[in-house]
Amino acid sequence: MFEAEEINAEHKDLIHDVAYDFYGQRMATCSSDQYVKVWDQNHEGRWILTSSWKAHSGSVWKVTWAHPEFGQVLATCSFDRTAAVWEEIVGETPGPGERGSRHWVRRTNLVDSRTSVTDVKFGPKTQGLQLATCSIDGIIRIYEAPDVMNLSQWTLQHEVQCKLSCSCLSWNPSLSKSLPQMLAVGSDDSNPANGGKVFIFEYSENIRRWTKIETINTITDAVHDISFSPNLGRSFHLLAVATKDVRIISLTPIHDQASIQSGLTKLSVQTAAQFEDHASTVWRVCWNITGTILASSGDDGCVRMFKMNYINTWKPIAVLKGDGSNLSNENQKSMASSTGAPVSQTARYYKLGTISSSREVPWH
Amino acid sequence: MESTVRTFAIPNELCRRAGIAATWHSINNLGIFPSQSVNPSIPDRPSPYGPSEASVFNVRQDILLFEPILRKLVNESNGIFLNLQILTSGNVANLKQELLKVSHQYRSVIRACLENLQDEVARVDEHTSENMKNYITIFYSIECIWHLCEILFIENIPGSIVLPHLLEWVRFHFPKYERQATIYLNSDIDNIELDPDYWKTVIGCLLQGRVEVVRALLTLHSSANSPVFKLFDQTLKSMPIYNVYSGTSVTEFNLRWKHWLVDTQSKIDAKSFVSESHLNLMMKLAVGEELAWNQVQAQCEAWYELLASWLFFTEPTVKTFELGQFARRCIGRMGVRDHLRHLDQILLAALEADIFQVIKEIQHMSENGWFVSHLTDLLFHAGVLDTLDGTNEDLVAGRLRESFLIDYGVLMSSHHSLWQLGLSYLDHCPSDGLHVIQLLLQKLPLGTEVRVQKIVREALKRDLHPVAQSVCKVQGINCLRRGKMGNALSWALKSQDGYFTSYLADRFLRKYTTEGKLLCPDLLENLGSAMLSCDRLTFLSKYFEFHKVYALKDFKEAANIIISLMSSKLTPKYFWITLLTDALPLLESDEIVFSSNDTFMLLHCLEEKSKLPELQDKISLIRIAAARNLARALTTEAQAA
Repeated sequence: MFEAEEINAEHKDLIHDVAYDFYGQRMATCSSDQYVKVWDQNHEGRWILTSSWKAHSGSVWKVTWAHPEFGQVLATCSFDRTAAVWEEIVGETPGPGERGSRHWVRRTNLVDSRTSVTDVKFGPKTQGLQLATCSIDGIIRIYEAPDVMNLSQWTLQHEVQCKLSCSCLSWNPSLSKSLPQMLAVGSDDSNPANGGKVFIFEYSENIRRWTKIETINTITDAVHDISFSPNLGRSFHLLAVATKDVRIISLTPIHDQASIQSGLTKLSVQTAAQFEDHASTVWRVCWNITGTILASSGDDGCVRMFKMNYINTWKPIAVLKGDGSNLSNENQKSMASSTGAPVSQTARYYKLGTISSSREVPWH
Repeated sequence: MESTVRTFAIPNELCRRAGIAATWHSINNLGIFPSQSVNPSIPDRPSPYGPSEASVFNVRQDILLFEPILRKLVNESNGIFLNLQILTSGNVANLKQELLKVSHQYRSVIRACLENLQDEVARVDEHTSENMKNYITIFYSIECIWHLCEILFIENIPGSIVLPHLLEWVRFHFPKYERQATIYLNSDIDNIELDPDYWKTVIGCLLQGRVEVVRALLTLHSSANSPVFKLFDQTLKSMPIYNVYSGTSVTEFNLRWKHWLVDTQSKIDAKSFVSESHLNLMMKLAVGEELAWNQVQAQCEAWYELLASWLFFTEPTVKTFELGQFARRCIGRMGVRDHLRHLDQILLAALEADIFQVIKEIQHMSENGWFVSHLTDLLFHAGVLDTLDGTNEDLVAGRLRESFLIDYGVLMSSHHSLWQLGLSYLDHCPSDGLHVIQLLLQKLPLGTEVRVQKIVREALKRDLHPVAQSVCKVQGINCLRRGKMGNALSWALKSQDGYFTSYLADRFLRKYTTEGKLLCPDLLENLGSAMLSCDRLTFLSKYFEFHKVYALKDFKEAANIIISLMSSKLTPKYFWITLLTDALPLLESDEIVFSSNDTFMLLHCLEEKSKLPELQDKISLIRIAAARNLARALTTEAQAA
């Protein structure tokens, strides 16, 4: 039912983040070993390491791709208190292979933070090339490359104080250019007395500033990851939050007199779903491309998937769990059919077995 | 629901010890990697798991529908689906009848697919043939359920007298006896009754209500002419069989049937058939004697086969809505209540008219939603899902249909060559379809120019201009990266991104200043009105024209262009030197091509730019040439005046 291709990531420590490019054909990984690696899928669908470089002088927490309209661009953030923007350059002289010689260069090093930079994300492409970072000193920074054809120039546009230590951020990916930009930020401050740990900021064109428009007070435990769902023209936004459980929050803009006068969006906040399936801290959430399935990671060592059905209710649908015990069982393992190419030495294919099966449940 | 969630194992020891995290990519693919939550504020040091071999696992679903052998099913059912949408959007008289035809078409596609699979099983190696057999099981079940749903929910049965249809359904799915009977009838075997399967076949045919076949088989028997056979034949021949078109009412039929039962029972009681035990048994079956049925029901492979037989002899005028209770009774009789297979459960739900349950269950048929999406769509158009609205206000039929179509459309879109087929399903999702298309189209891997053009066309077809523009821009950027400047420029123009176009035109001009060669003359030649999309491109295009007319030795026109370029205020700073140098030979040409006004204009520009460092070498040269030309021009102009 499922098959997995194993790619030896060649990192020397745990991987903190894996990010795929816009099309899912390139993969970037980062790790505590301070390296960033880029992998490309070849014509046979095999993943091949094409670049590896020491990106920071501390653990690299996050890696993220810019929209391909801006070229092949990555951003990383690290414990070393910096964030960096990288661009892949195609050499003038054609190198081996059809794609020519390519290498990644550091386009900028963003050194404004005085503490570990915990998250970095490119903004929606409709607003040009923007980058948001957040750090444990509780400051959100918005950078911009004014000339999208020249990525070595970045200016710090905004600094927004969040008061609490920030662990994660997410741009609202709304496709409409007319709506104000929105950012959600999570704090991993563990003291419930400090109140809500998820903040919603909005950019106001009139005052040219980012303003906090909402604090989600129902979440007072530490928040480790946060992610807006792709918006399918809905009247509300969905925000997944990784905290002591999995939370799906719906944010509905209200157009009343007060919000029109202030020029700031007013939101009605509701919990659309809450899952305690991990029974432990949840630290990562990720939406599929259409925003119908959410995958979460927790301290129970599992990735759990939740799907929205046609009446907008959410149900758990599948669980993935690391299990090394079956490794000796040759039946579960089949080597890549075409051997010979050196890359196949690192690619192994598995049919995924089930740990506890009760009944067939589809992936969706 | 909790208990139904399956757990899949990632076969990796580090993943077990450390825990895992996931990232989605492409359409419904997952990257799984060993990871753990970290506190970013504590001192940074290697984790207790390093140094170690960390692997990323790319997990994807096995998608059965992408098997080449099923491509025909996927394509043909798409055609039927699209026809159905056209059909239901117009005013079709007798829609019910048309829907039934559509249902038949779907089923014949499944049957054709089953035939293909069966042929394939014989041809391929053992491993593949196992897979094929698996697919056969799946699609066989689908056909079986679809057929029943067609009878129960789509076919317009007069008076709800459903039995003839049920028999037909059972006959199709259990053709064993009929096949054997044909063999017998086409052969000339003496003493056919000695064939071990003879009586089994006769009884089997009787159970499926094939009275005529039974009678024909009995004539093959060596004692077919004996009185007991004759009596049996007569009795069977006189058995009333309900036919809605015969003009008899149900009451009248029941009266005749009851009469026949009494009559036949009396013949049995008179021991008229005891000399032939098989005939005796069959007569007892015909009058519905419990003991006799107990004896033969093992001959039925499934409870629903028994159901149709049993109803034929005991409830020939059973109504559609009464089927549920009889189905449960047959399941009881067969003693299979505790081990109903998935197929059984779905059929039972259908017989109990629980459409919602049927739809819920057929999602789990492991054929990636082909069945549930197409059947639900058909049922929706047949109007039978509307009852859902009444029973539970949350169950809105249209949204149910749409959610399946979206899942199916998205799944198809993830296939390299089936994506357009996928879109055609999303087109028929009124509420979210277009939004999903908007999202998916941008995410389709680009590849060749032809493919990109296809994607752009699909976007424009749906008025998704921003998507089309974005795709063009990305392709433009890709071409730029590969050094294909001409392609980059033409994609930039399509993307209507002025800044990008301007950037590229600038690159063309700069390239000219360093290498003295204009790239892609064909493209520049054919820009048409696109040359106006940004100033830099307008300049480039005009400058190209200058080269063209210069090469044709039309120096007068060349001079005109140069002057209009100089006066246009479009000239990039770095390009002045080129433009002024280009003017030099024209100033010195034998024929006077610059008028005095032109020359004043040129000198004016020269003085304005005289501070440009790169101009220093040439400035005096140009001044002299201009002065000479001015003198010549003034003289000629004076003479002309």
